[in-house]
Amino acid sequence: MKRWLTSQPMQQSVFLGPALLVYAIIMMLPFLLGIYYSFSDWNGVSSQINGVGLQNYKTILTDDPDFGRSLWFTARFTVTVVLLSNVIGFLIAYVLSKPLKSRNVLRTIFFMPNVLGGLLLGFIWQFIFTRSFSAIGQATDIGFFNLFWLGTENTAFWGLVIVSVWQGAGYLMVIYIAGLTNVPSDLMEAAAIDGASGLQVLRHIVLPLIMPAVTICLFLSISWAFKSFDLNFSLTQGGPYKSTESVAMNIYFEAFKSNRYGLGTAKAVIFFVIVTIITMIQVSITKKKEVEM
Amino acid sequence: MRKWLTVISAIMLTGSLLAGCGGKEPGTGTSSNKQPAGKEVTIKIMNFKVEIAEQFNKLKEEYEKEHPGVKLQIDTLLGGDDYNTQLKARFASGEMPDIFANEGYNQMDAWLEYLEDLSDQPWIEHEVDIAKEPTLRDGKVYGMPVGLEGLGFLYNKDLFAQAGITELPKTLSELEAAAQKLQAAGIEPFVNHFDTWFGLGFHNLNNAFAKQPDPNAFIQGLNDGTASIAGNAIFQDWTKMFDVVIKYGNKNALTTDYNTQSTLFATGKAAMNQGGNWLQPVIDKLNPEMNVGILPMPINEDGDLNDRLFVGPANNWVIYKDSPVKEEAKEFLNWLVSSETGQTYLTKEFKFIPAFTNIKAEPADLGDIGAGVLEYIEQGKVLGWHWSKYPNGAAPEFGASMQKYVSGKIDAAAMLSEFQSAWDKMKSRK
Amino acid sequence: MKKQSYGMKWLSVEVVVILVGLLFLAPFYFVLTNSFKGFAELLVDTSGLPKSLSWDNYARAWEVLNFPRAFLNSLLITLFSALCMVVAASMAAYRLLRHPSRINRVLFSLFVAAMVVPFQAIMIPLVQVGNWLQFLNSIPGIIFCYTGLGVSFSIFLYHGFMKSIPLEVEEAAVMDGCNPYGIFWRIVFPLLKPMTITVIVLQSLWMWNDFLLPLLVLQKPELQTIQLATNTLFGQYLKQWDLALAALVMGIVPILTFFLVLQKHVIQGITAGAVKG
Repeated sequence: MKRWLTSQPMQQSVFLGPALLVYAIIMMLPFLLGIYYSFSDWNGVSSQINGVGLQNYKTILTDDPDFGRSLWFTARFTVTVVLLSNVIGFLIAYVLSKPLKSRNVLRTIFFMPNVLGGLLLGFIWQFIFTRSFSAIGQATDIGFFNLFWLGTENTAFWGLVIVSVWQGAGYLMVIYIAGLTNVPSDLMEAAAIDGASGLQVLRHIVLPLIMPAVTICLFLSISWAFKSFDLNFSLTQGGPYKSTESVAMNIYFEAFKSNRYGLGTAKAVIFFVIVTIITMIQVSITKKKEVEM
Repeated sequence: MRKWLTVISAIMLTGSLLAGCGGKEPGTGTSSNKQPAGKEVTIKIMNFKVEIAEQFNKLKEEYEKEHPGVKLQIDTLLGGDDYNTQLKARFASGEMPDIFANEGYNQMDAWLEYLEDLSDQPWIEHEVDIAKEPTLRDGKVYGMPVGLEGLGFLYNKDLFAQAGITELPKTLSELEAAAQKLQAAGIEPFVNHFDTWFGLGFHNLNNAFAKQPDPNAFIQGLNDGTASIAGNAIFQDWTKMFDVVIKYGNKNALTTDYNTQSTLFATGKAAMNQGGNWLQPVIDKLNPEMNVGILPMPINEDGDLNDRLFVGPANNWVIYKDSPVKEEAKEFLNWLVSSETGQTYLTKEFKFIPAFTNIKAEPADLGDIGAGVLEYIEQGKVLGWHWSKYPNGAAPEFGASMQKYVSGKIDAAAMLSEFQSAWDKMKSRK
Repeated sequence: MKKQSYGMKWLSVEVVVILVGLLFLAPFYFVLTNSFKGFAELLVDTSGLPKSLSWDNYARAWEVLNFPRAFLNSLLITLFSALCMVVAASMAAYRLLRHPSRINRVLFSLFVAAMVVPFQAIMIPLVQVGNWLQFLNSIPGIIFCYTGLGVSFSIFLYHGFMKSIPLEVEEAAVMDGCNPYGIFWRIVFPLLKPMTITVIVLQSLWMWNDFLLPLLVLQKPELQTIQLATNTLFGQYLKQWDLALAALVMGIVPILTFFLVLQKHVIQGITAGAVKG
């Protein structure tokens, strides 16, 4: 092996080069272009692109209650979905890492919601909420099913949460399972022999060891919930009265339906800054808690 | 096929070779898909309607047979709702079609600089007046209407007969009386789907704009601040019609979606719903035997004003100004509305209500609803579509306010003032 | 594993989990039963069992969507994109983790930051870039796009997982005279197997179901993926749910099979994986 081939610059470019190249072309360049457009009044097709300085940003910050509202919805939605899907996803993964007889089948079952997507997901769940729930409600008289599902701000919000958790938990489960495979079983057995209860083992042994998986899952679920678009689009269309319009939807409508591409990308930039700050904080907090083996 | 193999293997090789020594950067996927240049010309047409894709392909064969040397390439955009997004993507990718569709009015603003002036085309003299306005700009015509569509209340003729309604309602009080009769006969008068802003902000509210003495002057007034929605008498009348629709409609309208609504209506679970002739194919699939008609949407007691349907061009064909085959494209559009084959396709296959006086449509070809709309058009009892004149982004806001009203969160006055502020906010946004 | 540990306790846990699992599965009842119904029956009686078990929808969807072609396109795109991501991301994550220079820390943050950019915000510029660099309207082109869009998340996953791989293994390999590339591909990469499979499963799923990117990038009918083809069934006013559901089931089966096959390997990873070290 020639020396130059193993030099640090060479290693850097060999290992990082491919990833960096695709990333720069597919993510970075378009995003930078987007930032450029955010300072213009471009409508998405015109050959005329006029710079408008910070006008778009000013509009968003001073004269766009809808954006603020979608931001607030997205924040509430994210917190709820992140908590619920991680707790449920972890619990499922934990139980399914135990020697249950049907665990392989069950893993597939919990993962299955992820194979549904797009318009059909909305179609199925709309039906479940508006028709099946009311049918069950009439038959059983349980209040939960007799709610006015998707018709009020609250039920629409929780409807979206339910579907997101239903999908997300199984996804996170996969990562938690991969994390749990790293926890040596002899360590857990030793703890059990020492008389630690199941909960203690979970808290003091398992959880610290799978912190990398927790970091990943938290970050992942945050980034999805923040970007949530398809489900809102197909299940509630942002309704009722725009109460479930996510930021991604708000951006999409501004840029494409209203032909205000510049304003839409300015929203995306603001949103990006907010989310980056939040996720950075989250990653640095959980990182501190990670334990090296 | 070979191309992807090389690229993929290049990328994969990067990985595997490195296990030994050295390596290369992966290449970027490259490909070009230019049409081979020859004697033949190809007109690229972007079809906006998935429903007619099959028929369009048959039309293509006929046209190519009659016009040797000209090929049509029909691209049907997907999803229906996202036509504009996809068109923008085509544009950004440098693959602009030669003929595409545009709804006109403010939807044309963005594209105007790319549109060919069609003012000198022979079909213009036959074009019905109501179809001209959307693509007219500074005295120039930029689009050819694909066909007309009519909007009103669809009604189930059998259920109306069953409830003993012999005279079709032409005023608001008659509409309410009909609703009461239906209710008395144990029939749900209206089925509404208020789950999306679309049917509300566009179709329902259009009523109040269209019935202004001069809708364009009114909209102009809103834009320059001389008119207002809040104190407008027509808008206040319109809220009364909205009340009737809500009062005699399904209670869960806010969670009723388009599918459910169409199903309930087509299966006779309710007597009326707001809609247009575009619902015919859905009804044909759900209940082909259904006797369905279309009614106007009265907002007050003015019989003449209210006995009108809202009619407009479903969409318009436009031609890309920089297209190398724009002359051929013009010829194709002209052929579509002037040749016998083209006309037959428009009315019998696409089932469009013609927007040209020289095209004769058989009511039987258009289906029940289309025939009803055609009748109103022939009698000149029509009002326009104005939602494309709203400022961009205003319609979803209108819809949201209407949903709030339906749920009882705000009263009529608050709804109208929300309309006003939505208009003001959106008009100032550039 | 101790045999006697499976007693009443685990049995009851198992029963509870199975019940929860059935709850999770409930929506699929609607998917499956309705895929056999005609259009009218589907909308009128959505919750009932189909009147007859007719494969009509499947046959028609197969034909209308040109399913074999769409399937092949989806398969090629998903498979090769996933492979490219695995190669690019595992190497990058390895370097970023084992060589945490200042610039690499910045690069890692950049990769991570990209995960929160909504796709809708970059899609038009992406198409413009695609036009300049000519990667539109081709399968390799969209594979390139997916690799770029997915590489961040893959790096993030590998990065998190690699930390648990002990350095000693690599140090031993250096002693044996392996070069850095050899160490990575011969020693480290095999240890990453559980995470590699996780990456493949999760990314494949996303790409298999993705609609927006192919919509923008693949504008030719012969390049249609399953998702694009399914959308030809949705007009603005008439959406053919009957055929779409049949198409959905046909699209689900391969990806589920894929998951079933691969998830066994996730478990095998326990013995083959990092724990050994």
